[in-house]
Amino acid sequence: MASITLKNIKKTYDAKHTVIENLNLEIKDKEFMILVGPSGCGKSTTLRMIAGLEEISGGELLIGDRVVNDVAPKDRDIAMVFQSYALYPHMSVYKNMAFALKRKHEKQEEIDRKVHAAAKVLELEEYLNRKPRALSGGQRQRVALGRAMVRQPSVFLLDEPLSNLDAKLRAEMRTQLKKLHQDLQTTFVYVTHDQTEAMTMADRIVVMKDGVIQQVDTPQNLYNHPSNQFVAGFIGTPQMNFIDAKLAAESGRYFVCFDAYRIPLPDRMVKARDLADYTGQTVVLGVRPEDFHGEAEYRLKTQRNLIHLPVDQAEMMGAEIYLYGEIGKTPVVAKIPSAEPVAAGDTAALALDMQAAHLFDKRTGDAITD
Amino acid sequence: MHKNLKRYFPVFALPTCAAFAMAFLIPFVMGIYLSFTKFTTVTNAQWVGVQNYITAFTADNNFINALWFTVKFTVVSVISVNVIAFFLAMLLTRPMKGTNLFRSVFFMPNLIGGIVLGYIWNLLINGILSYYGVDITYSAKYGFWGLVVMMNWQLIGYMMVIYIAGIQNIPGDLMEAASIDGAGPVKTLFKITIPMVMPSITICTFLTLTNSFKLFDQNLALTAGAPGRQTQMLALDIYNTFYGKIGWQGVGQAKAVVFFIIVAVIAFLQLYLTGKKEVEQ
Repeated sequence: MASITLKNIKKTYDAKHTVIENLNLEIKDKEFMILVGPSGCGKSTTLRMIAGLEEISGGELLIGDRVVNDVAPKDRDIAMVFQSYALYPHMSVYKNMAFALKRKHEKQEEIDRKVHAAAKVLELEEYLNRKPRALSGGQRQRVALGRAMVRQPSVFLLDEPLSNLDAKLRAEMRTQLKKLHQDLQTTFVYVTHDQTEAMTMADRIVVMKDGVIQQVDTPQNLYNHPSNQFVAGFIGTPQMNFIDAKLAAESGRYFVCFDAYRIPLPDRMVKARDLADYTGQTVVLGVRPEDFHGEAEYRLKTQRNLIHLPVDQAEMMGAEIYLYGEIGKTPVVAKIPSAEPVAAGDTAALALDMQAAHLFDKRTGDAITD
Repeated sequence: MHKNLKRYFPVFALPTCAAFAMAFLIPFVMGIYLSFTKFTTVTNAQWVGVQNYITAFTADNNFINALWFTVKFTVVSVISVNVIAFFLAMLLTRPMKGTNLFRSVFFMPNLIGGIVLGYIWNLLINGILSYYGVDITYSAKYGFWGLVVMMNWQLIGYMMVIYIAGIQNIPGDLMEAASIDGAGPVKTLFKITIPMVMPSITICTFLTLTNSFKLFDQNLALTAGAPGRQTQMLALDIYNTFYGKIGWQGVGQAKAVVFFIIVAVIAFLQLYLTGKKEVEQ
């Protein structure tokens, strides 16, 4: 059991190529921390530095209170699950799982006990004598987890472990992984580019872009209070809508004006920050698709927030329906209950839930209101 | 279209089949037949049963000696060529400068023909031995090690290329997983690298084994069997029996058949044994 601290971590491949400039992060003991971001954002590199598979170019990495910059991977008390599973193809499932324990010269009975215990948890007992090639993707994945589990490491590192599985299995494994984390009571550091995985499993999420941490927070907070436009766009599907709008002030009240609309800002936003600096300027209004409301009773309550969306395309998703259209020239997606009778070609009257909306600085992308 | 083509299958296959039959199959069968005859030309042959085989083994010790010498030479060469080639491949798959240059240089000896190579090494080795007042034919020991060195020099580069391909095929994260699992360099070599390059080991062992066993040009050029017939290998002995003694063609032919059987059995045995250890990924 251990916390992980990254202090001013830097990673360069050569003089010109800097992947991570200055990364600071504290992962608490027993926490399920997920690093998420688009490809090339440095999340895998960060994980590999924690594992000791990549050299650290600058800064300090601590596991527990021990600086491990120059400690070999095997001595860091970590276990890693790879995207490709990296199972030893010439060894049986049993030998794959026992490999690390054998290297530690543990007693045969002890190895036997641990392997069987892990196999039981992961429902692999009947496959122990099989070679990896005789297993399905999901089973291989569980062997990879088992190989990490038997070592009882203080830190689990997982590098996109679910991305080779099909969608149904992936959803199943998410639940299993979460349960595993609760049972093992160990620190998990998990890398993925899939924000759904991050949202469903993590205690906290690190959103990264271009080697820079954008925000570290709980899934709930990331969703409700993104610190910038990137995080707002990255978390949540379909993506948050961004509409360029002019901020106007009139006798102490603020409005966002776009297309033909002039929508008042709620008190929550106005109180959060002095908006005077932005008056008359273009800001970015962020509205999540589910914050468009097509229900009649909602529309009646919020007449002033009403917009009319010409629907180019309507996607039936079951419980919801996705409406695609344009406001001005900006493409917009709205997600409304499928009970609403809307079809492509209609113009949908939708009310914006401004309480849940966000404003971003047009130039920096930073959130103006939380 | 497909059916039409199928009808012409014999027409397309015939030239190759005919060539194969003429150049390989018919001589092979005739060769076996001739080993049971006393002959001067293929049409002038007299059936003598297994007499040629008895003569081959009993008339003198040449064949047995050559066989024993060939076996010793093959064992030493197969081990040394493969071990050295493997470690060179390990070295040259590390990230360092100039690996391509080294790979090319190590491969080059392979481009030189056997006879030329034999004479070059004859000159080199005799040049050194002359300091001690002897030459390569002074002792069978010199001839033996001379042949081993030359064989290594010629084959290592080629085998190295095959091993490099094998090593580069091992997924990187397998090595990383091993390093996290606590395997040091030696354990990684024996538990991961070697099992993973088993296909390369199979093919390289096969190539070195058969090449060493069948060695002829280099043997002829380097020592020609001297001193006496002590460094004469099987192929050279067969050649000398066939062309060296009038009326012994049948005996030479019988030796060649025995030689074929030995090489075939060893090669199949080896492919079976190493092939069993290969794994699919």
